[in-house]
Amino acid sequence: MIKNIFFFFALFSFSCSSDDIIRSEKTAFYRVYKDIMKSKTANVNTEAIIEKKVYDKKWLSKFNQPIILLSSLDSKNSATLVALGNYQNKLTWVSSDGVSVSFSNGVLIATRGYAQDLMESQHNDLETLFTSNIKKRSKSYRYLNGQNQYRELNFSCSFTAKKNVSSRFLNLVLKTTKFTENCKAGDTRHTNEYYVLPKTNIVLKSKQWISPANGSIKIYNYYAFQNNLF
Amino acid sequence: MLRFLFRSSLNIVTLYFLININLCHARGDEIYETPLMLNTYGMPGSIDTPSAEAFPEGQFSISSAIFGGTIRNNLSFQITNGATVSFRYSRIPSAAGDYDGYFWDRSFDFHYLLNKQTKNFPSLAIGLRDFIGTGLYTGEYFVATKNITEKLKFSGGLGWGRLSGTNNQTNIFGLGNERIGFSAGFGGTIHSNHFFSGTNSPFFSLSYKVSPRLEVITEMSSDDYNLEILTPKGFKRKSDVNFAFKYEIAQGFSIMGKLMHGDSIGLSGTLALNPRNTPYKSGIEPAPMPLLENAALMETQSFMNSDIFVRSEELLKLDGITLVEINIDNKFADVEILDRNYLNVAQMIGRVSRILSKTVPLSVKFFRINLVDYQSGYSVSKIIIERESLRKFELMLDGPARLWENVRVENSSAGINSSFALSNSRLTWSFYPDLDMLLFDAHSPINGSIGWEAILAYRIRNSTTINSSIKQPIITGLDDIKPGPKPGLPNVRSDFMYYYRDISTRPYISSLTIDQYYKPFKNIYGQINFGYLEMMYAGIRAETIWKDIQKPYGIGLDLTRVNKRNTFGDFSMLSESYSTIIGTLYYDLSSDWSFQLDAGRYLAGDYGSTFSLSRTFNNGWEIGAFATLTDVKFSTFGEGSFDKGITITVPLSWFTGKKTQAYAKTVVRPITGDGGARLYLDKHKYLYNNIAKYDQKSFNDNWKRVYR
Repeated sequence: MIKNIFFFFALFSFSCSSDDIIRSEKTAFYRVYKDIMKSKTANVNTEAIIEKKVYDKKWLSKFNQPIILLSSLDSKNSATLVALGNYQNKLTWVSSDGVSVSFSNGVLIATRGYAQDLMESQHNDLETLFTSNIKKRSKSYRYLNGQNQYRELNFSCSFTAKKNVSSRFLNLVLKTTKFTENCKAGDTRHTNEYYVLPKTNIVLKSKQWISPANGSIKIYNYYAFQNNLF
Repeated sequence: MLRFLFRSSLNIVTLYFLININLCHARGDEIYETPLMLNTYGMPGSIDTPSAEAFPEGQFSISSAIFGGTIRNNLSFQITNGATVSFRYSRIPSAAGDYDGYFWDRSFDFHYLLNKQTKNFPSLAIGLRDFIGTGLYTGEYFVATKNITEKLKFSGGLGWGRLSGTNNQTNIFGLGNERIGFSAGFGGTIHSNHFFSGTNSPFFSLSYKVSPRLEVITEMSSDDYNLEILTPKGFKRKSDVNFAFKYEIAQGFSIMGKLMHGDSIGLSGTLALNPRNTPYKSGIEPAPMPLLENAALMETQSFMNSDIFVRSEELLKLDGITLVEINIDNKFADVEILDRNYLNVAQMIGRVSRILSKTVPLSVKFFRINLVDYQSGYSVSKIIIERESLRKFELMLDGPARLWENVRVENSSAGINSSFALSNSRLTWSFYPDLDMLLFDAHSPINGSIGWEAILAYRIRNSTTINSSIKQPIITGLDDIKPGPKPGLPNVRSDFMYYYRDISTRPYISSLTIDQYYKPFKNIYGQINFGYLEMMYAGIRAETIWKDIQKPYGIGLDLTRVNKRNTFGDFSMLSESYSTIIGTLYYDLSSDWSFQLDAGRYLAGDYGSTFSLSRTFNNGWEIGAFATLTDVKFSTFGEGSFDKGITITVPLSWFTGKKTQAYAKTVVRPITGDGGARLYLDKHKYLYNNIAKYDQKSFNDNWKRVYR
């Protein structure tokens, strides 16, 4: 039996085709086994930055278009994204390896390429979220299940603000207002943090939750520093 | 494409993959797989006895149990929230066993959960065990289950038939204490007179969940194992009590160790997966092209190639979509595209529309996208999308639903366009390993061959292709199949073993056909296949399909006139000729079910119909069953009584999370007979599915992915 299986896979390794599609199917088929061997299924497309990078104004000056930086909570994985989409104040940022995130007033409203993507969301008070004294808010997040139907999470959130929080961005230390949002939908909970330039809607840095499978990411809105405001 | 590879290693892949998923992902809110719930019959239960529970809807389980000379291999499926079915192939020790002291027996079970347990009342279920065919395991039961505490669960029930072997009591329905006998005939048929007749016996079980992954169970079983204890190949039944532990090694994969009736130690393994539980959630394809405001769009277009076709083609190619034609006509962009990558057509259309939004002039307000089928060359459907709606609803709640209100799906025009080439090269070739499996032969229950297959295709025109497949088994056990052809009917299929015997390890022509496609009207599709159609037949076949793209149904007519091929798989022919005339109704129900009804004249000249029913998942998975009843008597058909089987379709994209249309379709057919026989053709030679995947229902069902 083992001999037959070995023979089968030996034959498989010699399989070939003149058709690109069939070759890509073979590669995909291989990858299933490869992932099993590596114990790795969800390949979230963020660039791993091995060396410790210094994110300062010098580093930022290398970019001639608006960028943001996404980072995992442990800062081990990060990626720079450029703005490629805009419509009615909703900005979509795209990484070189195919992840996109969309924001409205600095709040994450959609992701693509993250396996369990935030497909749609609804926030009723985004325009005034950081400028009015909101204590409670609700929001809806939608994901796709395995049959391409919605799985919806309706969050009830408390929203608190703490003024004059010193935060470090690039090589600057700025006074910001830190907004903390604690949200709950059934057993699903998350906490978002927004560091906002006082009396504005400009979110300089944030920790925002995507989905149950992906958890949260950190977002550094470096484009705010690219126009020499600071 | 890679169906044989995929099919052959499906079990291994799923097994390890599920283990792998568990290592990488936390279990979601919803429970999709409950492998600890399976008993040795592959049904909800304790060890041998049933319980009043049900698996999560859609759960598909493969399990195997071994103890005391008995082997049970089970394929189970949770059809609805309450209904569970299981198909089983068992080795049963018996002094009368027809194969080396054993019976190899197929059986089929049905279990229905009547209600779920509440705070005060237990759940109740009814079940029929082995109710089709010879009935070696036949039995019926009522069972109740209640959690005493969160971890401690008690089940108790009454069993009839085999489940009333010991501790039997007077029939509670007053149906008499003698079990009504029945003649199994040639197997494969339902007999119901004996249901719940004869004495009944109680059975009980108690299970304790030590941890979320470990459960210990004891049960008092009323099965007397009267066949198994009378042969030295079985075991001694020393008590009514069984003990077991069940351990979930990984999500969807569990084992059960058991001591059966105080004598035999056994082991079971269960692999459960749920097609609803896609491991890669919404997929890991790269993000689609973002949409831009007009000012940014004009600036972007100023940097692009001035030729609209070239710039659109380049961007579409990045998404794996081929642009074959584009015409700008005032407010409309008419586009012909070819997609061989996306299983999900709505996602594909979303990406095409996004790219067109970026590449065509702002004066274009609507995209009319014609979808061309690669195999046949005809356009199947035309999607008309309003450009502004696509952008306006992109990041809105209910965006896809709002966009759908501004989308039209129409039948594409008649004819096959020859003004463009469907592929860069007329000649395509592939070389693969090939696996051919034969199950359920008592002399060799799992048999098969491993070899290679070479596929060569030459496209003469967009509508005309020569397709060929040459195979050679290298390691084979199929050249020594013991049972011979069945008597009573022309041997149109049951003499298949002669082909395997004579081909042995020689190369042979599996198929060599010239395929001509046509589309005379906008909703009539057709093909003619001429040549060596399959291993056993050569001749001519014509298939015509009527399908309105806006309707969820279609009608087909399939005519063949064929001659038997020589058993060596070469070019020579035998003098036996046959014909079939089969009409088909296809219907894709609004729920997750589809059915197909075929009726007409089958290969052996018999008249009848085939009913096929499939549970479809909106991700490419399909699990179904079919049965063919013709005017051939069950006694003439022989063992199995009539042709029937189970079909399982598994998409590769479910395992990879990336775009691919590759899938494997496996047909588990317990018995091969001559009644109700048809040609075995390559799946691409059936037109309906290639058309229906582009119909309005297909788009609507998947539309929530349009912005993915």
